[in-house]
Amino acid sequence: MSDGRADLAFLGATRIATLVRERKLSPVEITRVYLERIERLDPKLRSYITVTADDALDAARRAEAAVMRGAALGPLHGVPYAVKDQFDTAGVRTTCGSRILEDHVPGEDATTIARLQGAGGILLGKLNLTEFALGGTQHFPFGQPRNPWNPDHDPGGSSSGSGIAVAAGLCAASLGEDTGGSVRSPASFCGVVGLRPTWGRVSRHGSFPLSWSMDTPGPLARTVEDVAALLQAVAGHDPRDPLSSRTPVPNYALTLGDGVRGLRIGIVRELTVGPETDPEVREAVIDAARRLERLGAATEEISLGLAPLAGAIFMALADADGAGVHHRWLRTRAADYDQGTRRRLLTAALIPAVVQQRAARARVLLRAEIGAALARHDLLLCPTAHQPAPPIAAARGVITGRHEVAGRFFTRRSYVTPAALAGLPAIALPCGFTRSGLPISVQLIGRHFDEATVLRAAHAYERATDWVGRRPPGTD
Amino acid sequence: MSDLSTEQVGALAAALGLPVTPDDVAEVTHRLNALIEALEPLAELPLETVEPVPGFGEAPSA
Repeated sequence: MSDGRADLAFLGATRIATLVRERKLSPVEITRVYLERIERLDPKLRSYITVTADDALDAARRAEAAVMRGAALGPLHGVPYAVKDQFDTAGVRTTCGSRILEDHVPGEDATTIARLQGAGGILLGKLNLTEFALGGTQHFPFGQPRNPWNPDHDPGGSSSGSGIAVAAGLCAASLGEDTGGSVRSPASFCGVVGLRPTWGRVSRHGSFPLSWSMDTPGPLARTVEDVAALLQAVAGHDPRDPLSSRTPVPNYALTLGDGVRGLRIGIVRELTVGPETDPEVREAVIDAARRLERLGAATEEISLGLAPLAGAIFMALADADGAGVHHRWLRTRAADYDQGTRRRLLTAALIPAVVQQRAARARVLLRAEIGAALARHDLLLCPTAHQPAPPIAAARGVITGRHEVAGRFFTRRSYVTPAALAGLPAIALPCGFTRSGLPISVQLIGRHFDEATVLRAAHAYERATDWVGRRPPGTD
Repeated sequence: MSDLSTEQVGALAAALGLPVTPDDVAEVTHRLNALIEALEPLAELPLETVEPVPGFGEAPSA
């Protein structure tokens, strides 16, 4: 496609909303652009499980009519988006990426979906994920999701489709869910921006659970501004999620351009220059810190001694929660799970109580360690992932020894689970590419409910670099 | 904590009514032993005085 329609697909959510409001872009036209691209590119990338083409076009026609009659328009009016197939959608099947729920059609929308629709968004469809948002799926029931930068490589998970679809221009923005990195990992591997909000900032109502104390819906988009716009639409207390916060939601757009001058940023030594971090990742992330310094931030290397254990602590806690959620199906429908999911859940079901209790106590110490660091710094900085996207084949092999478990499950999670275990907001944003052309991502972690500072720093960095404009090969 | 054997893991799963194949048991044993081993350093921490609560940014709003 070289007629400029690809450019429309990569405009971004806030730009599309502006053009629609100014009657310079038709919601029907932009929806057709995405649907055509999905039809053409997604048979290879497999980011979607269900495409709601007819419903999307109907919604786009209604959106266009509203514009033409001068109706009041929501902030995302006419913006085509897609959501991880973990969120309930009224009348549209919600599979959680599992054969167990392949015919499940919810009767109502999740709160996040209702809010995105209320903001004027146009739902294009439901996005692929690792089964039940767990990670470690070996055979995806609805097709193997592939990284748009190199289809032989992992797109990250669990919100795999949410990262792919944004990166490949198959939607303007997407919603994922982050229990222990499930928004930030695909954002990292696919070269887009992904935000895990503070736990409690966004309602979990209507989202299939994994771990009650860590599950957090979060947006993915090509720019920080778009992520902020989606967060604005979904954030805030929900009476149907009793653990959602009543903390007021600020207007993120107001402070997005405030820059980083005067901010204090702690560079987490163990995760940035530690032995597990790939040299190309280390170099790019340190470059990002230097760039933030030149923009006016004060940076300092700090230590989080428990961070390297965070992945294992997380799996002892979140997986055990997941085993509880799945206990009935594990007993009655074990064969219907993907092998990797089933074995992970079976393992979790057998974790000794003393081990789980120890992990729960260590979580408190880790949280205190991070809290002390954030008392001295406005933000913490580290890589989002210790390595670029690995080959898909590396994640699909059968585990034949315990040494493989640490490498495949604990190490990489230690980069994203500190924020999850502490309930903190964290953003993943592109900060470079490897020599082989795979994205690298830097992570900024903020204080509770201070998404505004996280977004502001990320926006300043993004504007000072040119990573955002890049498109994966073959997506024009 | 000493390593769990496949027989012990199979028995634990059976006690919970969880159907596992022999292949499942072998891999689950690797996974479980790896997790227990990875968390062994925690035994060196002063955990006895720590309340095992998740901890939140604020009190739940219920």
